[in-house]
Amino acid sequence: MSVSRMLAWNEIKEHKIVYGAIIIVIALTMASFLLENAYINYMMQVVNDTVKNITADAVVTNTDCNVRDLYGTETTIHDAGKIAQLIEEKLPGYKTSIRVTAQATYGVGIKDVAADACTLQGIDIHNDICVEKIKKSLVAGRFFSDEDPILRGHTPLYIRIEGPGYLPDIVYGSGQRLLHKDPPYPVIVGAAAAKIHPSIISVGKELDLYVSASARGTNYACVRVKIIGLYESGTPTVDAMIWFIPDDSLREIKCYGDVEGRSWIIPGIGGFQGFNPIKVNKSIGDVVLVKAPPPPISLNPVGHSESVREKIEKIVPDYRVFTWHDLLVYGTGSMQDVVTYLLWGSMGVTLVLCGFAIKYVMDSIIIRKMREIGSLKAFGARDRMIFEIFMYQGIFIGLVSGFAGIFLAILVMEVVNWLGIRMNFIAGTQLKIGFVVNWFTVVITLVLPVVLSLISASIPAKRAAMLPPVEALRKGEINL
Amino acid sequence: MKNCLIELQHVTKRYKGYESEVVALDDISLRIFAGEFVAITGPSGSGKSTLLHCMGLLDRPTEGKIIIEGKDTSKITGKDIALLRGKKIGFVFQSYNLIPRLTVMENVILPGLIIGKRREYLEKRARKLLKEVGILHRINHRGAHLSGGEQQRVAIARALINEPIIILADEPTGALDSESSREIMDLLLEMNRNKGVTVVFVSHDPVVARYGRRRLEMKDGAIVEDRKIK
Repeated sequence: MSVSRMLAWNEIKEHKIVYGAIIIVIALTMASFLLENAYINYMMQVVNDTVKNITADAVVTNTDCNVRDLYGTETTIHDAGKIAQLIEEKLPGYKTSIRVTAQATYGVGIKDVAADACTLQGIDIHNDICVEKIKKSLVAGRFFSDEDPILRGHTPLYIRIEGPGYLPDIVYGSGQRLLHKDPPYPVIVGAAAAKIHPSIISVGKELDLYVSASARGTNYACVRVKIIGLYESGTPTVDAMIWFIPDDSLREIKCYGDVEGRSWIIPGIGGFQGFNPIKVNKSIGDVVLVKAPPPPISLNPVGHSESVREKIEKIVPDYRVFTWHDLLVYGTGSMQDVVTYLLWGSMGVTLVLCGFAIKYVMDSIIIRKMREIGSLKAFGARDRMIFEIFMYQGIFIGLVSGFAGIFLAILVMEVVNWLGIRMNFIAGTQLKIGFVVNWFTVVITLVLPVVLSLISASIPAKRAAMLPPVEALRKGEINL
Repeated sequence: MKNCLIELQHVTKRYKGYESEVVALDDISLRIFAGEFVAITGPSGSGKSTLLHCMGLLDRPTEGKIIIEGKDTSKITGKDIALLRGKKIGFVFQSYNLIPRLTVMENVILPGLIIGKRREYLEKRARKLLKEVGILHRINHRGAHLSGGEQQRVAIARALINEPIIILADEPTGALDSESSREIMDLLLEMNRNKGVTVVFVSHDPVVARYGRRRLEMKDGAIVEDRKIK
């Protein structure tokens, strides 16, 4: 051990109470910073996961589409396929898929009252960027297979529009399916929705879905679905809201809204326009989802998101590109940013105060240790050695505070996880309180106290180092 | 002819006082030779300690030169001065200046560690020195737990650890009772006689000053008497 380290350690032992107090304050500050950050990250991840099911990393849509439209079925891109192809060609590593969605309410049979609502999201069972994620999160039942029926060639069952509000309370159709022999269409449903309505939603159940197939001047459709699987993404919002269905099926449901189709007659009701059979154009979709390769270091997810947007916008300048962050900001306002700023601010204030405490403690130590400093200089100690004695103390305070902060935070996280604390969440769901530790904040938790204590220690350390030996010896005598 | 260890040539030291300039050393020229046992005496404020500090390179003279073993120290700066001080000069202070939380052994080897000597060598030498100053039995005690006389013995061993050319002692008995003072002065004298260690000490106590084989009497920053005792 070098002399300066030995003497620094000696000083630390001598002033263990005051240094201990400073370390505890910094460690608690850093632990609460890490915990709060981890909790915000977790909550944001819950929101992000919800949002990313709609946007992936980015979503390309029409210029007249706003953020809110992305949640619904307002938009249709007719050359979605070309856009997807172009992005994958021009941006290596980027993956795309074409999303088709519809809003639906569900009910069992025609007599039961429709309960709750969901967003039906079309999924290309081989190529969609969500396939692996859905497969991994299945908790019951199975994923789609090639044998599963899709809506091709199906006839609309019945069309129903009902109030309240501006919609006329009209039901088209007799409530009877026209083609009874058609099999129901497979859907994979969020586990949270199954928990909310266990009598209606479980694997193997068949439901009628009343679908707002395309909101722009369209009709409603009813389709029979069979639940083949339940998935749990860990985000109750998603699980309660998003249901997956093979995208061909959903495209065909959307086609009910196309009034330029062939006319046909519903017995007892009269003429109705639609397609039969329906020709599926896989190039058309609500939006094009884009998944970007992950950044090498994920320190700045928002910045990464912005760079993804810029790259895509250059390739498809005639379209609008939204990122998950746009939706997040839309969904949460600037709450995340404000909370984060507040967190950093409060941590900063506490750390600055601790920095002053370190400085003043060391100042007082130097005044009391003048004689020792003078003696060390008399024995041949260079200014640098004296400087190092105090800087090592600073490093010690910083490192111990940082590690203690991380340790405390991990301890609290483990206890909370072990207790399995839950809180009420959206749509009657319960969310287990969790934490997502971001490496950047861990690094900050460790580095910031070290930097702070080094800066705080450097001022008294320099003062001690620059003391002329004779002055230190004389003042030391006076201080005795 | 005896070897001159330290030579002061027309050394003047002035401090800025509250109202006027204070002349602490006034054109002092002096030579300290190897093997001498020099007492610097004089009334309070006569410049004894300032002279000792200048000789020990702890303070820089305003004018004049300090030459150590033929080397003009006015041309040396910063870290080289510190190194020269560490290697060539041993200090004994009135308040011992042991580091209280360090053990006797750690205190003694500290100056050696500072100038980069190996710990094993230093510990071996420290044991020898502590035996010579009669404090080996307290080797693992902390400095704070020793009596004044014991602390000063440790300080003498510490001053000798780097085999300096000279020991400068500033009021080495100033904080001790008469019995301990006598023991410490006897010890320094023994080191001088038996080992040839050159010692320059400052004391305002006439009894202690009588130990000096050469006595420098100071007054108002000047040496008024330089007397060798047979």
